[in-house]
Amino acid sequence: MLATPWVCRNCLLRAAKPAVRRGVRLQSTVATSESIPPALLARARTIAAEHQQLTEKLANGFDTRAAKKAGEYSRIVLALREWHKASESVAELTSLMHDPTTDPELRELASDDLGAIRTQLLNASQSLVTSLVPVHPFAHLPCLVEIRPGAGGSEAAIFAGDLLRMYQAFCNRNGFRSTLLKYENVNGTQEGGIPLSEAILEIDHESAYGFFRGEAGVHRVQRVPVTETKGRTHTSAASVHVLPSLQANSVAESDYDDPDSDYYVDPKEVRLEVMRASGAGGQHVNKTESAVRLTHMPTNTVVSMQDSRSQPKNKEKAWALLRSRIAQLRREKREEEMVAMRRSVVGVAKMGRGDKVRTYNYNQQRVTDHRSGATVHDLDDVMEGGQTLNKIMESVRSWLMEKDVEALIAEEGEAKR
Amino acid sequence: MPRLPTSLLREAYTIDRLLPALLGPCRDLRAARNELRWLREHVNTIAAARPARGGTLAKDALLRDLVRQRASGKPLQYILGTEYFGELEIMCRPGVLIPRQDTAASISHLVCSIRNAQSLPSELRVLDLCTGTGCIPLLFHHEFYSARDDIDLRILGVDVSDTSLNLAAHNLKRMRKDKSWAEKGAIGFMKADVLLNPFADQKGGRLPLKRAFETNKQLQSWDILISNPPYISPSAYWKTTTRSVRGFEPKLALVPPPHSTTADTERGDTFYQPLLHIARDVEAKIVLLEIADLEQALRVARMARELRIFDGIEIWRDQPEQTPDTTPSSTQGGFSILGQGNARSVLCWRGAVASWLGKPTPGISLDDDAHRLLKSHGNFTSSFHTNGLSI
Ligand SMILES: C[S@@+](CC[C@H](N)C(=O)[O-])C[C@H]1O[C@@H](n2cnc3c(N)ncnc32)[C@H](O)[C@@H]1O
Repeated sequence: MLATPWVCRNCLLRAAKPAVRRGVRLQSTVATSESIPPALLARARTIAAEHQQLTEKLANGFDTRAAKKAGEYSRIVLALREWHKASESVAELTSLMHDPTTDPELRELASDDLGAIRTQLLNASQSLVTSLVPVHPFAHLPCLVEIRPGAGGSEAAIFAGDLLRMYQAFCNRNGFRSTLLKYENVNGTQEGGIPLSEAILEIDHESAYGFFRGEAGVHRVQRVPVTETKGRTHTSAASVHVLPSLQANSVAESDYDDPDSDYYVDPKEVRLEVMRASGAGGQHVNKTESAVRLTHMPTNTVVSMQDSRSQPKNKEKAWALLRSRIAQLRREKREEEMVAMRRSVVGVAKMGRGDKVRTYNYNQQRVTDHRSGATVHDLDDVMEGGQTLNKIMESVRSWLMEKDVEALIAEEGEAKR
Repeated sequence: MPRLPTSLLREAYTIDRLLPALLGPCRDLRAARNELRWLREHVNTIAAARPARGGTLAKDALLRDLVRQRASGKPLQYILGTEYFGELEIMCRPGVLIPRQDTAASISHLVCSIRNAQSLPSELRVLDLCTGTGCIPLLFHHEFYSARDDIDLRILGVDVSDTSLNLAAHNLKRMRKDKSWAEKGAIGFMKADVLLNPFADQKGGRLPLKRAFETNKQLQSWDILISNPPYISPSAYWKTTTRSVRGFEPKLALVPPPHSTTADTERGDTFYQPLLHIARDVEAKIVLLEIADLEQALRVARMARELRIFDGIEIWRDQPEQTPDTTPSSTQGGFSILGQGNARSVLCWRGAVASWLGKPTPGISLDDDAHRLLKSHGNFTSSFHTNGLSI
């Protein structure tokens, strides 16, 4: 009689498969413990209470803003509920085992289960902490991956091409639709096998931004270039930028017109230049000139497009790209401000666009990510966009999550003081 | 034309063996690279459409052949078969003038200025004289209906050349197959000679416009008249047009026909008097005429002013929507000049339609307007050539 409730719950707990949270394996001490930092727990409880109020409000009539907020909070509320359940179970089991009146057979059963329940609690704690981390505002968007050669001459341009093919292959394997928005090799043509001067790959997949954002930064290569006659190893680099893709209807139309939105660009601040055939123009000349250049004057962001023979098409593509770049710039600026604020509290690693993030060492057939510290050895599989690349990308996402959690804890700590 | 520097040719060669040949017509590396890329894409599309014939070898040979044609001056548009006119891809064929982007910019600007007007009639009639590929009616329709659909647009394109009319009809048919094409209003094409005196008899199978309206049971009054007529004088033809234009585009579309005693400049202006008189006869409320340069623009604007039927006349540059680099916007000879680039067209309007264009409405009554139209008929036939018309 006395033990029935927990036995039942235990069965239920066992039946519920542990939540699969890809890429969220936390190594920091704070988060591996079953206990949640009190500040975070308090925050989760406040949110749950607020959620309760919102739900009541919604029962009395619809309100878009309240509904949206409630939707955002529900993840946290759910995670909190799971955590409560798991910690209660642990508490019950523990007290049962320490209760001298407990039947020995039951005690043995309880200690058997304690291990599984503890794992549940650990998972629940992690879920709760990660649910509190604010989702990156672009995470749900498709993205643009821009690749450009850095230092290292033509070897850098060859490597930039290698990176492009790596991401393309990765997209193919994983069913992400990708298209080349812009591609220029050093010949100004699109033929492969010639060193790359600039490429923009659009990954038209929901949440691609969240998935690829960790790829931004400087990728370094160490190898003997094909052009090297003396067999010396060179170090070169290519830079990768990840921007939110704002093509078509990835963002609510209204956000483009709302001056407070990250996506807003005031047309008055953009200078449009179209390339025209020189001379008299009109009937006198019949050369096709369709190149377009946009300059966002406040930030001096320049985008030029000449891929298409149609000037309106080039203009449209250039606008989309300009919006993406500016949205990303604004975001980066804000992130930098946040980092600057937090640095005093905790040594949050900065991840700007100029930082070296990964090294591809061909001689040792190894790839090391300098943020997550992960090293893999199947370099060929990485370059072919295989599972090994996925693994290393995943390590970066975990690292990002860890940094976010650290920041969150630091922030809560600040707020308390 | 100045010779290309050897260093440029060498640089081009190291990039791609086919590039130096394209530098001839393109003059600079950037343009040549673009053209080579488009030619390559074209060859790839062709190869994809008819697969398994020789593979890459045939593709290389085809590309080399196209580059050779282009190097000889043949316009890229005739080689690829199309040109973009605004957002529309228009078919091009030798024998018909290739649509120009400058023309598209004027047309788009006109449509954008009027399409949101409150006071448009439920049926809006547009006449395009010297229509060539039919690009102007097609772009007008496209740009107009992309903004609103509550108005019935009737557009008529007129040309004297059968080759043009056939291509125009073909372009219309092709557009209508496109999903994004609005099946609204009506576009038609008609053969007529806009230079022929309406009272003259039919000449060598050519009908004057008025007679053609009657024969084809067409409307006789039109709200908007647009024309990009032949406007190049014989001397400018040799001095100002590029080799590719002279060597491959029809002279009929570029240089007005000779007639007895006219001097070079007047010959370039041949079409404008007849066009303005047609505008008056069809009671056009808005007239947009393309011109070669500022001098011609001023001459045409003065001709229009002398008719005394318009309430406003202004000159547009290649990019009329752009604010000029030099502020405040300039005026010359009493006409304001809008936009950036070379002078490209003359816009005239009369009566209450000023409000369509967002201009102040003149205080003229309907009666007065009818009166001035009538009065302006004084010098009616003088502008038409009653004899000696040969092309
Ligand atoms: C400069 S092209 C303009 C074509 C087209 N509207 C465009 O903008 O591309 C002039 C056109 O006028 C036509 N044309 C020449 N003389 C004409 C005449 N007397 N009456 C009517 N059309 C004429 C030519 O066949 C040619 O298609």
